[in-house]
Amino acid sequence: MAFRLEIRLKRELADAEGAGVQRKAREYFGFQVEDIRVIRILTMDAQLSDDQLRQIQTEIFTNPVTEESAYAPVARDFDWLIWVGFRPGVRDTGGSTAREAVEDLLGTPLGPGEAIYTSKLYEIRGKLTEEAVDRIAGELLANEVIQQWKIFKREDWDPGQGIGFLIPKVMLNHEPEVTFISIDSDDQLKQISLARNLALQDRDIPIIREYFLRADVQKERETVGLNLPTDVELEYISQARSDHCNHNTFRGFFTYRDLCTGEETSVDSLFRTCIEAPTLKMMEEKDWVVSVLWDNAGVGRFDQDHYYVITGETHNSPSNMEAYGGAITGIVGIYRDPMGTGKGSKLISGMYGFCVGDRDYDGPLKPHLHPRRLLDGIIEGVRDGGNKSGIPTPFGLLLFDERYTGKCLVFVTALGIMPARIGEQSSHEKTTSPGDFIVMSGGRVGKDGIHGVTAASEGYSEHTPAGHVQIGDPYTQKKMHDFLLEARDEGLIAFITDNGGGGLSSSVGESARFSNGCRVALEKVPLKYDGLDQWEIWISESQERMTIAVKPEHLDRFMALSAKHSVESTIIGEYTDSGYLHLTYKGKTCAYIRMELLESDFPQWEFEAEWAPPQIRGLAEPVISEPRDHNALLGAMLSRPNLCCRNWIQRQYDHEVQGTSVIKPLVGKYRDVPSDAAVIRPLLDSHRGLAVSQALNPFYSVIDTYHMTSATIDEAVRRALAVGGDPHHLGGVDNFCWPTIEYDPVKNPDGKYKAAQLVRSNWALRDLCLGYGIPLLSGKDSMYIDGHLRGPYGERRKVSGLPTLLFTVSSVVPDIGRCVTMDAKFPGDLIYVLGATRNELGGGEFYQMMEATGLHVPEVHPEKFRPLYLALYEAISQGLIASCHAVSRGGLAVHLALVAMAGDVGMEVDLGGVAGAEGLTPAQALYSESCGRFIITAAPEKAHRLEEVFSGCEIGRVGIVTQKPDFIIKDQDGKRIIDVVQNRLKAEWKRPFGGLV
Amino acid sequence: MKRIKALVLTGFGLNCDYETDFSLKLAGAESHRIHINELIGVARGSDRVTLGQFQILVFGGGFSWADDHGAGVLMAAKLKRHLGAELKRFVRDGNLVIGICNGFQALVNLGLLPGFDEAYDQRLVAITYNDAGNFVDAWVTLRVNEAAACVFTKGLSEMELPVRHGEGKVVAEMDTIKALLENRQVVMQYAGEDGTAAQGKWPFNPNGSIQDIAGICDPTGRVFGLMPHPEAFNHFTNHPNWTNQREALSRQGKTPVSQDGEGIRIFQNAVEYLRGR
Repeated sequence: MAFRLEIRLKRELADAEGAGVQRKAREYFGFQVEDIRVIRILTMDAQLSDDQLRQIQTEIFTNPVTEESAYAPVARDFDWLIWVGFRPGVRDTGGSTAREAVEDLLGTPLGPGEAIYTSKLYEIRGKLTEEAVDRIAGELLANEVIQQWKIFKREDWDPGQGIGFLIPKVMLNHEPEVTFISIDSDDQLKQISLARNLALQDRDIPIIREYFLRADVQKERETVGLNLPTDVELEYISQARSDHCNHNTFRGFFTYRDLCTGEETSVDSLFRTCIEAPTLKMMEEKDWVVSVLWDNAGVGRFDQDHYYVITGETHNSPSNMEAYGGAITGIVGIYRDPMGTGKGSKLISGMYGFCVGDRDYDGPLKPHLHPRRLLDGIIEGVRDGGNKSGIPTPFGLLLFDERYTGKCLVFVTALGIMPARIGEQSSHEKTTSPGDFIVMSGGRVGKDGIHGVTAASEGYSEHTPAGHVQIGDPYTQKKMHDFLLEARDEGLIAFITDNGGGGLSSSVGESARFSNGCRVALEKVPLKYDGLDQWEIWISESQERMTIAVKPEHLDRFMALSAKHSVESTIIGEYTDSGYLHLTYKGKTCAYIRMELLESDFPQWEFEAEWAPPQIRGLAEPVISEPRDHNALLGAMLSRPNLCCRNWIQRQYDHEVQGTSVIKPLVGKYRDVPSDAAVIRPLLDSHRGLAVSQALNPFYSVIDTYHMTSATIDEAVRRALAVGGDPHHLGGVDNFCWPTIEYDPVKNPDGKYKAAQLVRSNWALRDLCLGYGIPLLSGKDSMYIDGHLRGPYGERRKVSGLPTLLFTVSSVVPDIGRCVTMDAKFPGDLIYVLGATRNELGGGEFYQMMEATGLHVPEVHPEKFRPLYLALYEAISQGLIASCHAVSRGGLAVHLALVAMAGDVGMEVDLGGVAGAEGLTPAQALYSESCGRFIITAAPEKAHRLEEVFSGCEIGRVGIVTQKPDFIIKDQDGKRIIDVVQNRLKAEWKRPFGGLV
Repeated sequence: MKRIKALVLTGFGLNCDYETDFSLKLAGAESHRIHINELIGVARGSDRVTLGQFQILVFGGGFSWADDHGAGVLMAAKLKRHLGAELKRFVRDGNLVIGICNGFQALVNLGLLPGFDEAYDQRLVAITYNDAGNFVDAWVTLRVNEAAACVFTKGLSEMELPVRHGEGKVVAEMDTIKALLENRQVVMQYAGEDGTAAQGKWPFNPNGSIQDIAGICDPTGRVFGLMPHPEAFNHFTNHPNWTNQREALSRQGKTPVSQDGEGIRIFQNAVEYLRGR
């Protein structure tokens, strides 16, 4: 029997959610909607008595002050109704918390197959066409990938019947079954792989076949009743060999040819030569580096007794399909990495980076989701994922560019902290041993996310299976997080890792390498619903799950703690030293694979890389005369989408939970200008701080990815230093997003160039890490950021994203009391520009506004910049600096303006004082994006000591902070070229997105 | 000195427990983070805790049960069923209860607030969606009603604290609001930067709360609920303009007087009240 409880706000109360939809319908589509109100619906598919129903209604789900409800339709006075509910199998957290509450209230669990589902009914008033209502439903309220909707016209509405009973129950009616796969020939296996969406790589197929055809292997398999490979086995191999898990691209063999000089260079694994080698070298030199290159995240020392943990990744493909679900799954997913690092760490911070198409895109191509809707969804997903996890999100970046319309980028970064020791053991070490139980904790397993890993390794097209989109559930995960920390502190965790890409296949498969074997009984894995095949259970990516090795003597306590936290934990098998990954289902073997198979010599991927230097590609400096109206120019620069105020995002993110906030994302007198970096105080009883910053500069990739990469790393470093970070402790996280680099004359004709771009980027990564002393604590690569978008004539056009690196820097601040923000503090303070300004506007904002690319891209000279960075740290330590800001995208004029706007003060600046400005035109001095620079302000009485600290560095005293609110810049000849009230600049800066909340 | 024991609820999506626990300790209390299941009898053996051992009970911030059915609603339903009588007894015995953000939402749904006539079981106040329709993290200026009986705010007249919520708008029937004002149960109101009433104006009143209400107490002043987060101002570096304040002080040759943030005073008041009882 099903019951439908409909709940609505009382008539006299404003409906904020409805008003939000109404606003979007007007702003996005120009629809004149009079009013929208929301009705919440709980559909209870359960046996319940009248008395129970009344209790459920009044004691839980109806707030007597604000709401009214009925087990009957409550819609009234509408022109249209839109009902939106989840598709079967999509995560419905509201449904499961409602069930939890109902079971608690009634004191008895719901019966088998019974459940509660949530959905919404939107009551719309206004003269709208059916087509318009359909657009509101399909483009604002629901995404067909995860939701279903129904539209009711006033005339067709049956108030007795209402919306009826739509129960999204999963019913598979399927008996789980293992399939054996013939491997008569490479070709046959290739065909099967394609048909089953196995995504086995062509070059791996002979190795896989050879293994299963080996006489000794066949003999062993007979002992467990197997012959041909099973679908479970091939799925396991496919997961483990996917680019996402195995980083085949970064471990590939590159033949790099410079088309200009003809010189050829071989690179055997970018990972080994550019990431691993410099990091190992750093590890020798820097004793604060604790654990890198193997675990779910990197580990650095925070203080004598604590380690911090950091990692970052992307969730591009799923977000592109379902923005909210993809993004929340991304942020909640990355939070599991620190939880699964060492013996587990407590989450202390999250960060984000979004790259999307233009918010107002109205070009001819039809992306799956319009960039504006995509961005809305991504923002909300990261908001709910972070806020509901109780983890502060104190930093983030957003970049608009049309080239991200093919596939958006969603970067998520997470930091954790853990005690250096758990009992007698170091917290970063862990292992599995024969006899340890394999325990799965957290959520249950369903069909969700199946083939997610392999889908992320392909470009997006209309055929991408939608099944891999899911909705992360921070509530379930937060409970698990709290539980696991207690279990860790009691010494109950021998090994822990998360279930992310590849699910149990990856988590158990990888952890079993330590003990050299495992045995798993797949029927023990708790399922959301019956009917999953064995291979689906094994590779499902259902979220919020960790895999833990628990020693037999710890099992009872572990389970008791799990119950205390209302977290489901299940023994699904045990680790062995058999040398085999052995999976059974109800006693019958369905996989039996030698552990060493995955370590065997699978062929290395090979890439041809061809580099044409920018001059050869026809790039040149643009010819632009000196602008006459510098006031208007600066205003226009400040309102460019990638420079203007985007505070509406950061304000939705709780950046103060945990009480650790030291430097917030928005700073200044009115707390409305973005900070260079965030600083938190992760241990409340300590004065040590953790500074984190990120940078993204993909526009330079158009000229040279070597310089894109070095500029990005340099900017992230300077941002961390600007708030008081220690240049002797710089941890790095590299997150690459790259378009497909595999050459194909038809599908990817410029693949060789893109491959060369990747090689050059990695060379810069290596050089900069060595130059600045940055070990790479963690990193991930996400290739295939291409999309094939529908065009107006029935064609599909490939749109490749810009080669992009998001670089994260972590640093330790010995005394947070010394931290510095970027806002100018007091009139009369002196302004300095640290570092030299050069003719480097290529790829920058000014040239972009002039519709040019240019040639002179900013370059980084670590040997020259580093002494200045060390001096800056010294000056901050001595308390000589009132404000400090790294100059980045947009150049000096933009960033001087930001410093003045943040302080709500005026400025008088003389370009003549800027180091390096003498040979430049005023526009070049104002808008060059040269690296290595900071703007600082300081009290005049400290000037002498300050200049002493910077002796030998290229710095210039350029002006003074003024009470008068005028922002004045004189050119190198002393002529006033900018003279505008600071408030007016701020208004320009806020114009594009200042109204969004 | 008299030991004052505080219990900070944890579990089921609550999340401000560490810093609330830390703030109470700074204020001199012996504080414990206790999982809801330990209180209501789901946990076994040594994990069992009873309310009677404590003098301060904190319903902290977070997203209990994910807040999917109205903030604090499911938490209130759960506690009412398992702990309803004990909670009333706890309050009537003269102990202190503070609900912060999600905890405030739970207190009004439990009926511990506004607690007219000390009945403690009527739902008369609701805390609903912000007018702006979205979650907001912002520091606000608060006017503290010095005439209120609230023991937590003794000696305070103005405060700056962060709010972080999507559902912070206090609403009630006009009669209830009138009674709250008349009984001096309105403890904190959102104010403009100059300390005068925000009069509903965004962003000073961040959620559209009626009468700019940010926090209320029961008639005894021993049960207090507020949307802003005092535990998030536990250190002077939590304040958004602290670098400016530090710089101003340094130019006078001074350093900050106290490392503690002003939010700690709320917890100190609680501890001092109980010590003096």
